[in-house]
Amino acid sequence: MGPLVQAVDWLAVATPLTLALGAALVLLADAFAGTVRSGARRRPAPCITLLTVVVAAGWALPVWRDPRATFCVDLERGPWVCSFEADRLTVAVWAVVLFGTAVVVLLGMTPGAADRTPSGEWGFLLLSSAAGATTLAASRDLVTLVVALEVVSLPAIALVGLRRGDPRAAEAAIKLFLVSVVSTAVTLLGVSLLYGATGAVFLDGIAAAVATGTAADDVVVTGAALTVVGLAFKVAAVPFHMWVSDTYVGAPVAVAAYLSVVSKSAGLVGLMLVLGRGLPGLVDVWAPVLAVVAALTMTVGNLLALRQRHAVRLLAWSSVAQAGYILVPFGAAGATGSSVSEAFGASLAYLAVYAVLNLGAFAVVALVDTRHDRQLLVDYRGLAAQEPGAGWPLAFALVGLAGVPPGIAGLLAKVVVIDAASGVPWLAVVMALNVAVGLAYYARWLREVVRPASSADASTYDVPLGLGAAIGMTLTAGVWFSVVPGWLLDPLVVVLGG
Amino acid sequence: MIGVLEVLVGAPALFAVLTLVATRRDDALAVSVALLGAVATALWSLVAWSRSGDAGFGATEVDRSWVAALDLRWHLGWDGISGPLVVMTTVVLCCAVGSLLRQPPSGGGAGRLAALLLLIEAGVLGSFLALDLVLFFAFFEVALVPMWFVIDRWGDATGRHGVELRRKAATRFLVFTVTGSSLMLVGFVLVHAQAGTFDIVALTSSYRPDGPVGLAAAVLVALGLAVKAPLWPLHIWLPDAHATAPTVGSVVLAAVLLKLGTYGFVRFWLPLTDPGQGVLVPVVAGCAVVGIVYAALACLAATDLKRLVAYSSVGHMGFVVLAVCTFTTTGVQAAVFASVAHGLITGLLFFLAGTVKQRYGTGDLRRLRGLYGRLPHLAGVVAFAAMASLGLPGLAGFWGEMLTVRAALSPAPDLPRSTFVVLAVVAALGVILTSAYVLALLRTLLQGPAGAAAPVPTDLDEPGPDAVASEWAVWSPLIALTVLLGVAPGLLLTPVGRAAVALVGQG
Repeated sequence: MGPLVQAVDWLAVATPLTLALGAALVLLADAFAGTVRSGARRRPAPCITLLTVVVAAGWALPVWRDPRATFCVDLERGPWVCSFEADRLTVAVWAVVLFGTAVVVLLGMTPGAADRTPSGEWGFLLLSSAAGATTLAASRDLVTLVVALEVVSLPAIALVGLRRGDPRAAEAAIKLFLVSVVSTAVTLLGVSLLYGATGAVFLDGIAAAVATGTAADDVVVTGAALTVVGLAFKVAAVPFHMWVSDTYVGAPVAVAAYLSVVSKSAGLVGLMLVLGRGLPGLVDVWAPVLAVVAALTMTVGNLLALRQRHAVRLLAWSSVAQAGYILVPFGAAGATGSSVSEAFGASLAYLAVYAVLNLGAFAVVALVDTRHDRQLLVDYRGLAAQEPGAGWPLAFALVGLAGVPPGIAGLLAKVVVIDAASGVPWLAVVMALNVAVGLAYYARWLREVVRPASSADASTYDVPLGLGAAIGMTLTAGVWFSVVPGWLLDPLVVVLGG
Repeated sequence: MIGVLEVLVGAPALFAVLTLVATRRDDALAVSVALLGAVATALWSLVAWSRSGDAGFGATEVDRSWVAALDLRWHLGWDGISGPLVVMTTVVLCCAVGSLLRQPPSGGGAGRLAALLLLIEAGVLGSFLALDLVLFFAFFEVALVPMWFVIDRWGDATGRHGVELRRKAATRFLVFTVTGSSLMLVGFVLVHAQAGTFDIVALTSSYRPDGPVGLAAAVLVALGLAVKAPLWPLHIWLPDAHATAPTVGSVVLAAVLLKLGTYGFVRFWLPLTDPGQGVLVPVVAGCAVVGIVYAALACLAATDLKRLVAYSSVGHMGFVVLAVCTFTTTGVQAAVFASVAHGLITGLLFFLAGTVKQRYGTGDLRRLRGLYGRLPHLAGVVAFAAMASLGLPGLAGFWGEMLTVRAALSPAPDLPRSTFVVLAVVAALGVILTSAYVLALLRTLLQGPAGAAAPVPTDLDEPGPDAVASEWAVWSPLIALTVLLGVAPGLLLTPVGRAAVALVGQG
């Protein structure tokens, strides 16, 4: 074993650490500011939260140029292995997580939502969860991974139920809590089996044990299956998807946005790490299973979304379908002409585009929520005419999610994923058919948005600053990646895939 | 540096934005801006033609990296195959936008409609000029959402369930087309996995389809294009879309958007397909011929003028696809010629159908009678367009069908000749059926003594005025080109023939 006292590479851990410290700071600042002057109470917490996210993103920049790792040990029979690796894959996920968290912070600043949620706790929980998500992306051993996953989930459950005096929110939180606990238990069982069979908790160690054939194959496969099932609950892959709709609808819109982007990304990245990094030797076993899961997830998600008249439910099911698309490259990994590393690149490219566009849609949903909390699609009638600053960004997000121009980013993301699936043509065909189904319901929503407004209700919205900034951020990113798609796709697909 | 072709694609998009801006002031002003944009694009297409030269892709070709990660190239080029379709598109769009100036759509919003038409034009021109498969796919999809809006927002909503039917037609159009294009994309990535490139020029010169994956790619691409063209039995979205769309929507859909399918067959389905492999090519050709006969029978039974013209499109596109399936130079010439001719003639027919519907308030063929007596000028043009559509020698419709049958009689050596001879004979039979329905249409719609066959309701007794000057202005370019191509087919066949050699060799 290595020395008991390790040198820590502080730059590598700076991003999650900043988020964690910022979380503590927000809670304290809110407690003190709140007692001094109740009038200024709402101001410090969101500002500190946002600032923390920006600083955390700043630490990530040098790491992209110069990847690093820390918490390493010297295994007797192999090279050094590390628990925490801030490589480019990690930083790419951090970018998604931090962008998503920043947008959610801004969404949480709407007056209607802020009145009923304690802003200090809101910032604290959000930053804690984001700290977990960033740690998860960097974790390279099963223990860190599971702990990080819990750090993502538990604050998210609290966030869902944070709204005062709302029984729907409480019910949603309970539902999410039960799903989360069960999935964690299953994951832990899988992890312990993996450890028992391979004698390693480090992903690289497990990969080495599988490669040398020292591990009992059946136990490894069982352990992997249980771990994947646990993670599938988190990403709401079919058949573990039933909790999504009620939870999203019960939660505040900002939290639904967080669940659909940041928390879902964390689950997906965990799945990718366990399979792609820990079990690349068993790719022939898990890839076909994942292909079926991906196909089912997108099909069921799309079919359920097709029937919805409720905007948040529609987005909830569509996000299930989108998770299916994200899993496609992993379902095709190991087939002729594709490698596991290419699957990482393609999945992350899609994840990044999905995050930007989905957050854009949720930002406008949060705005409409200030007036129509029923959230029916007909409430969006004439939005583009009444409030062009919200209607057109929503229209752009929807066509992007559907993958048709002018949302070139979404279109190319689908090309990336289908291209990655070229080794498994049936999966590519299923995805192609699903794209058409998806367009049908996005188009239905789009029709309402761009319709002429009914004259009775033709007043403009009062757009709060935070929401305006969130809509602007997501729209700018979406348009930018559509105009110069190479900026996003070249680094992700080439660097991670190559 | 922005090339000639990039301006050609960018100009309609730019004018679409300007039109939208102008809509805030005034719809009439906006349509004028849009018309200016359409005319400017048409003139610029002539500039591009003159600069491109005759051989290969000429001096205007643009080829640079777009998204390196995916091997995508920004590759645009003009040759004898894309050129005629580009010019036809710009002419038809001038007519369509121009018609909005005097006949704004019912329900208002002429400016927005004009802007959407220009967006469609940008997407279509980009598709015709794209020489990268994914770039083609992206441009192909550009036209999609605007066309959906055109049907969904301005479509015909008369009748009790009018709005629902209109929505259904629009959504069906959207879902069918996207399903087709997504499957086509899967075909593209299969080709990419084999050949390592999306570049159409490179694929044309060096790709040889191989094994089951090559066949699967060819099948998927054919499926996608067959939805768009449309090829029987995937045409079922088309009659509703046409019958529901506003006049300009039908014109653009038939004259321009369907050509994306046939152009794709010529431009990259030929290089992606091995005629000797399996029964794919004979099956596609068979579907095309079934489509010809089926469309003619459907036309004989049609009771709605626009639906009749829509079904006749299915037949004409059947000829085009049959021509492509012969894998010969003559076949490619026939396909491109018939595509252009169909664009002009069917565009004109849909304008006329729109005018008839506007004058009488109905397109019901069971009620419309005796146009010659009431509106002689309009009836004359209808007769002209119908004759052109049936393939009267001396008009543009003749050459495409004649050459198709000729090409089908002597297909490429790898293809089963006897099968194609049978197909050619059946297609020729289709020509006779076509004559039958066109003549039946002329007899009932134009001649029939008013009120002879069925009691004519009083509301049809007083149609509006006969063809007015603004309508003549819209129709005359289409009429002139139909005559011109009819008497001088060499104008088109020569450049197409030169470009076709690159696709199918000296055949």
